[in-house]
Formats: sequence, C-alpha cells, structure tokens
Amino acid sequence: MVLDILVAVAVVSSIGTVLAGLLCICEHFLANYGPCRININEERDITVVGGGNLLSTLISEKIFIPSACGGRGTCGLCKLKVLEGAGPLLPTEEPYLSDEETQSDVRLSCQVKVRGDLKIEIPPELFAVREYICRCASIIDLTHDIKQFRFELVEPGQIDFVPGQYIQLLAPVYKKGGEEVYRAYSISSDPSDTNSIELIIRLVPGGICTTYCFECLKVGDQVKFNGPYGDFRLSDNDTPIVFVAGGSGMAPIKCMLHHMKNTGNKRKATYHFGANVVKELFLIDLMSSFESELEDFTFVPVVASPAADESWDGQTGLVTEAVQRNLKNASECEAYLCGSAGLIDAAIKVLMELGTKEEAIFYDKFE
Amino acid sequence: MKESPQSRNLEQILRSSKMAAGGFMGSDSRSVAEIIDADAFEVSKSGYTTGQLSVRMQEITDAAKRGLGTRVEVDAQHQAIVEEARGSIACPWPHLRRFVKRVTTVKHLDSGQIICWTDLNIHLIAEHGFFEGRGSAFRVEPGKLAKVIF
Repeated sequence: MVLDILVAVAVVSSIGTVLAGLLCICEHFLANYGPCRININEERDITVVGGGNLLSTLISEKIFIPSACGGRGTCGLCKLKVLEGAGPLLPTEEPYLSDEETQSDVRLSCQVKVRGDLKIEIPPELFAVREYICRCASIIDLTHDIKQFRFELVEPGQIDFVPGQYIQLLAPVYKKGGEEVYRAYSISSDPSDTNSIELIIRLVPGGICTTYCFECLKVGDQVKFNGPYGDFRLSDNDTPIVFVAGGSGMAPIKCMLHHMKNTGNKRKATYHFGANVVKELFLIDLMSSFESELEDFTFVPVVASPAADESWDGQTGLVTEAVQRNLKNASECEAYLCGSAGLIDAAIKVLMELGTKEEAIFYDKFE
Repeated sequence: MKESPQSRNLEQILRSSKMAAGGFMGSDSRSVAEIIDADAFEVSKSGYTTGQLSVRMQEITDAAKRGLGTRVEVDAQHQAIVEEARGSIACPWPHLRRFVKRVTTVKHLDSGQIICWTDLNIHLIAEHGFFEGRGSAFRVEPGKLAKVIF
C-alpha cells in the first residue's frame, strides 16, 4: 500500500517535471519573439532579441535604468514609461505605482516582457549612465560600523558626475544561495578626481551588499558599478545653505563641499552633523579644513549623548534640535539633507516651522 | 505531513541569501513549520501571544524612532535606538509587503539584557508567527523577547 502511494507520487512528480521541462523547451524554441524594435523617446530605435524583460534587455544595450533588486520586482526603482506594447499591468507592479503613474503608462521595466515592438520614454540623463569596472584601492574605518571605500576606475577610466549623485554598486555572489545585487550609495569623493570614486558605507546587519563590502571586499579586488544617478544637487544661486546629515549621510554633503571649494563658491553654509556619541563623529579634520578653505562655512557636530568617558564641549541633543537652536535665517536658506527617513522627515518639519520654504528643501532619503 | 509545493518554495526562499545575507533560516536544519511550532510553544510559555509581542515591539520601535538614531528612554525600564539603512526589504511570504530597513535595539535597564529586531521581524512575528531560524542575523528568541520588552 505504502509502496503504491510512493510510486504514484513519484509518477505524478515525474510527469510534472517532464511537463515543466517541455514548457521551458517550447518557450525557448517555439515562443521565439524574434527581433523586436524598441523606440526610445521617439528619437532612436534599437533592435533586440525578444523574450527577456525590458530592464535586462536595455542593460544589454548599455542603457542602465536604476534598479536595486536585480530585476526581482521588489525595489520599484526601475520605472519608465512604456507607451506601446507592454501588455496589461501585472499584479506584481501595482503596489509600486501610483494612480497617476498608472494612467501615465509608467511600468516597472523588470516586469515588462519584450514580446514585440515597444515604444518607451527614458529620462535623457540616464543615457549618461554607464557601467564601470574598478579596483578597490583603499578601505578606511571611519567608525565601528562605517567605512570609506575608494575605487580606482579601470574601464572606462574616467567618470563625470554631479556632486550629490549616487552609483549602484554590484555585490557579486559571495555566499551559497546568494545572487548578484545592486545597492545605491552616494558618491563622497572630490569630483575633481575623475579617475576614482569614494563611497561611505554603513554596515547593515544582514545586508547583502554591505556585508560583502565589510567582510569580503579586499583592497585590489575588482568590482563593478553603474551610474551616476540622481537629482540631489546644489542649486546655482547665492542663497545661504544649511546642510543636515547623520551617519553615512555625510557622503553627498562631503562631495558638495569639495565641489564648493573647487569652484570657489562663496555661499554661506552651515553643516549640522549628528552622531550618537563622540566616537561616532568622523572626518572632523576634513571638515575643519573646509572651514578654513571655504569663504563662509561652519561645521556643527552635534552629539546626542556623549558617553561618560568622552570629553565633549560641543553641541548636544538631536541634530534637529541644534538646527532649531542655531538657524536664525531659515526663511532665506536652502536646506540639503541626507540620512534616514526619520531624520529627513524630522528635519523638514523643523525647517518649515522655522520658515524655510518647502521648495527650498532638498534631500536624499535612505528609502 | 507532506510538504506542499508552496511551502517548499517558501523554505527555499527563506534558506537562500537572495533577500538577506545568510537567509532567514540561519543554520537551523528544522523546517519552517517546525520552527514556527516550537516558537509558538515558547511564546505560550511566556504568557503572551505573538499579537501582544508584536504590538509591544511596534510601540518600542515607534518611541525609538523619535530619537532619530540616538538612544531614547522608552519608559523607566527600557532604552531603545533605531538605525535605518537605505532601501527596503520584502516579506519572503508570497504577499506584497515591504519594510524599511530599520533595526530597533532595546535594552532592559534593570536586567541589562539587550535584544534587537527589524521592522520585518515585527511583521513576520505578527502575521506569520516566524521568529527566524537559529543562527540567522535577526533570529528573535521568543522567551528572551518577552522578558526584555515587558
């Protein structure tokens, strides 16, 4: 009796396996979508082999759409407009699209299969995005869980980016059962150094890419990234600036400060940087040098609660409380914020209460 | 009991490192169902329910969020801090729920015991009764959790 049941289960399983195999073979040989034409921005056509998803098809054509999940449909970043040929909206896309986006033909490119000709719209700035091969040149501990990585570019050997932009670093498979993932990190380096980039990365416990960076990546290793992406950038005017950041949110602000120094920018700027304890402050010497080198720059480190054995005569409390105490000309300022969603939301609230206009608040939120 | 294709698929996802480094099962060789059953027993021994535990966890996380990454006195017995990272993580169960990458660390001031969890942990415990496998980065021991947070 038991043997009969086992045989029956084995037979049914085998039939299922054979049918699944047949489906795969049919998909490969019979569902041949042939060459498909993708019209981009009504400006150019590319001809691709159908059958893949739109995101990977575009990547194979060296057109990089931001994506943090490697095309699994879990990050919602790879949005673009598909005006024709996409087929119906999939349930896997719905949670990531607003009603307005749905009505505007915005789709998740990783979920759209190329089965025929498509007409799509891509933001023009994404055409400047490239894939870079680089070599890890240095790794510096900034705090117990934040490191600074410098990558020298190998191919292509140069990068142009706007201070405030980010790249997507590829973490290769480094553990059994893992897979390649891309994760976004702001560029922290001096933009005048076009042969390398620096990233400031905080370890995320259980994080795939940060665990790779902290535990596996060694000086000399070759890695890939693509970019640059993002529209977090300094505006071109003389308005006083208030920077607010915490932790690895230092990265884009540092890059902007390098840029201000390089361009002789004379804007008045104040940078409030928050840390939990004194030993979590970092790049203090660099910030001091910016204070000497920039026309009118003040760095305000804020420590929430200095440890009993730490000597600290600077500002204490939350970084937003320090902004509230110190900022006297909020209505005239532009604010540039980088950090956790909680920090950004709290900073926006404080700044708006102080009189900063909503349209003068720019941020790079960790979400 | 024979394993369904759905539960086999779920277990594969939980054991893989596709969503979280090291996966959600750690080095635990037990099945998902066995882990959930064993932890449900531990929860019942603590005198609480998974609902009560997850509600209290969420209360502590909400209080700690106000510290913007600094330590917060939640009440006379508890100090907590949240750390947020860029991005979000999806629930490995087949429904479309996503969570900010936020870790809450809580210290019970009398006992000195510390425990931490993610926003996803709160959901996994509330909705799926899953505390993760032994050896996973964010395994939450039910007995310890009950002792620390109440």
